[in-house]
Amino acid sequence: MRPARQPPAPRTGDRGLSALLGHLDLLEAESIHIFREATAQFRAPVLLYSIGKDSTVLLHLARKAFFPAKPPFPLLHVDTTWKFRDMIAFRDRTQLELGLNLIVHINKDGIARGINPIEYPPSVYTEVMKTQALRQVLDRYKFDAAFGGARRDEEASRAKERVFSFRSEGHRWDPRKQRPEMWRLLNGRLGPGETVRVFPLSNWTEKDVWRYIAREGLDVVPLYFAAERPTIERNGSLLVLDDDRLPLREGEEVKIQSVRFRTLGCWPLTAAVRSAASDLKSVIEETLSASASERQGRLIDHDDAGGLERKKQEGYF
Amino acid sequence: MAVLVEPVADGPRGTHNVAARATRVLHGVKANDAALSHEPIVVHAGPLNVIACGSVDDGKSTLIGRMLWDADALTTDQRAAIERAARTAAGTPDFSRLVDGLAAEREQGITIDIAWRYFDTPKRRLVIIDSPGHEQYTRNMATGASHADIAILLVDARSGMKVQTRRHAAILDLMGVRHVVLAVNKMDLVDWSESRFRAIEGEFLALADRFGFRDAAAIPVSAVLGDGIARRSKNMVWYAGLPLLDHLHEVSGRQGAEDASGSFRFPVQMVVRAGQDFRGLAGTVTSGAIARGEEVVDVVSGRRTRVRRIVTMGHDLDRAGAGQAVVLQLDTDIDVSRGAVLAAPGAAPVAVRSFAARLVWLSDQPFERGRGYLVRMATDLVPVASLDISRHLDLTTLAERPALTCSANDIAVARIELGRATVVEAFANQRETGSLMLVDAVTGASVAGGVVVETHAAAPKPAGDTFRLTRSLIKHGVGADLGDDAASEEELRRRANEVAILLRGAGVTVELDDRWGHAGFDASSLWFGVMAVLSFGCAAAIAIGLI
Repeated sequence: MRPARQPPAPRTGDRGLSALLGHLDLLEAESIHIFREATAQFRAPVLLYSIGKDSTVLLHLARKAFFPAKPPFPLLHVDTTWKFRDMIAFRDRTQLELGLNLIVHINKDGIARGINPIEYPPSVYTEVMKTQALRQVLDRYKFDAAFGGARRDEEASRAKERVFSFRSEGHRWDPRKQRPEMWRLLNGRLGPGETVRVFPLSNWTEKDVWRYIAREGLDVVPLYFAAERPTIERNGSLLVLDDDRLPLREGEEVKIQSVRFRTLGCWPLTAAVRSAASDLKSVIEETLSASASERQGRLIDHDDAGGLERKKQEGYF
Repeated sequence: MAVLVEPVADGPRGTHNVAARATRVLHGVKANDAALSHEPIVVHAGPLNVIACGSVDDGKSTLIGRMLWDADALTTDQRAAIERAARTAAGTPDFSRLVDGLAAEREQGITIDIAWRYFDTPKRRLVIIDSPGHEQYTRNMATGASHADIAILLVDARSGMKVQTRRHAAILDLMGVRHVVLAVNKMDLVDWSESRFRAIEGEFLALADRFGFRDAAAIPVSAVLGDGIARRSKNMVWYAGLPLLDHLHEVSGRQGAEDASGSFRFPVQMVVRAGQDFRGLAGTVTSGAIARGEEVVDVVSGRRTRVRRIVTMGHDLDRAGAGQAVVLQLDTDIDVSRGAVLAAPGAAPVAVRSFAARLVWLSDQPFERGRGYLVRMATDLVPVASLDISRHLDLTTLAERPALTCSANDIAVARIELGRATVVEAFANQRETGSLMLVDAVTGASVAGGVVVETHAAAPKPAGDTFRLTRSLIKHGVGADLGDDAASEEELRRRANEVAILLRGAGVTVELDDRWGHAGFDASSLWFGVMAVLSFGCAAAIAIGLI
């Protein structure tokens, strides 16, 4: 969340500077450019802050983009009430530390209906507590642009995603309304009823995110690092028990073992991986040699075929 | 529904505050192992964006798959899957499955679909820009090519250059792809014949000569067998050049060195204000470099000043070059805002209102005379006063023929007159101030992309009476509710833009008072425009014959 080390000295040289700009420098500059384009073009932007590693990088880039001013938009966290406790603690610490404007939104209607990830299918739970919740709060504040941390490398259906992803009225993603993007030009002129999702990390990969976290000395939620945690195995997935709300089924046994997470979400729906990678260096090494895609840890994506794509059409990220 | 809004404590802002913040300690996990920044995983050059052009028959999927395989860019499970799968007739793994497998995501129905894939080789990041080669490929390929550093044109050694190869080369040239390599594939099926390769190479180089490619090379390969991809071919010892992958790695990414050696350009994205004293201009250096203390000129106003600070978070820079996103604080606060371009005084362009461009029509809605269009260039958004299509480029013959209309997949030459002057340069000299999107003023859609062929210094004589939209007209009309602060000024400019668009849509030739400089905002609401026309109804519309 902050520059922890003395940054490198300004680089100069006879050759052009960009020849000396590294891979991460170019990605960083591109993201900053996107943040500024969106902020200049949209009336009321908001940053969707989901506390994970991508959000951490996103927030850091937002701070860089407007320095010495603060990011001219609030942060928004859609809280399902099922996030890991470590995530909520990290969120509150970050907000306090950086003095940022944070909006926390819970779908109270969903809570009243008793929607939870244990008794309801993931698709229903996600629709109510995440998708509907997001729509409620975007509408309430009349945000016309929302920054998100989605990357094109995350999942096949995102490989074609634009940097400015347009949503029609009702937050629907209409494939025919998606605009071609050429060169560095970003056209944010909204048509009637349109809003937009902005993805400054479009061209980053999971590896880039971790390398950047290391380079910039950013703090992340401790759940990304391996530690002894109480786990159960259910439907082939390894779940970490974050509190006592999940009733154990017959034959399930709590086992303490060293695990970590590649992505973070609602704890009953987020699978851990067995790992001994307890610091950043070993996490990066593990990521570099990883053979499976990171979203395998997201149980909601496997709920039904084409899950992510359908959720997008409905207004989920 | 509980919404907890926690407002920011509005303390003093500025560098000292941030520095103080940086010394505080956060709890949680620390990631400040200094050794990490020197990990062996660092990719040494910037990403290389590659677009591959060719038909399925030419072996495009096999070639890309083989490249990734040989470049060690695949994860272990991807490798295992290919090893397990059925082999080709030649007994080699079927590499096309890799790319076709990646492309298997359901058709999303996006009008122009470009898929992006990211692979790390031990040398650098390869980004494969995949644009479908179907019927409507011109606009797809043009969109993909605008992001490409290098293009691989693929031909089958048995059939050689095709009409399609020529069309592809023309699109690449139009979109400014400077590095093109012809992969002459299936050399194994022509007995590794040097004479066959040389004949195709000669034809290709002759074609390449017609275009502005910086380098064009032909490489004989066999994607199925791997010859000429990652290693030199034992079957083609007569070929002395680099294998394909080495050739790609040689190409510098993102126009880097080229842009850096150009003259300084800095399109202003926005004004950053912090506290009472700090006002800086945020943007990305698109060409050349700037050092602290150097003089810059705002091209449109001609005002000059010096750069006092080059600000980034954590530390100021002495110098910033092409590709860097910074905030410039100027010595004297010349009044520039979004849309302005700062340049080096010795090599500054002039602001123009008239230019010729080549457009690739992207939208399913054809060009409509009298419809409101806007031009987005660098960070500026300018109303179009008139747009005339004069010719189409026939991609097959590369000849131009007269035309007045334009629809999807057409490549047209157009003359564009802007409602006010802005920085426009020939694309061949400056990519960022020479490329544009044409935007539909009402729907906001990006209807065409284009490159500037040449600029015209003198404004043309308008056909009829021109209505001059002045600051005071707007200020006393639709802007009467606004104050005098900077935000109001930007809003006033925005409204003026909208009024100009609407009048233009109504057939009135409108000229925006140049003293306004740039429209600070381009948010989309047409409401103010409608109000503007209503107030205008009383103030001026009668006078100009609108009513």
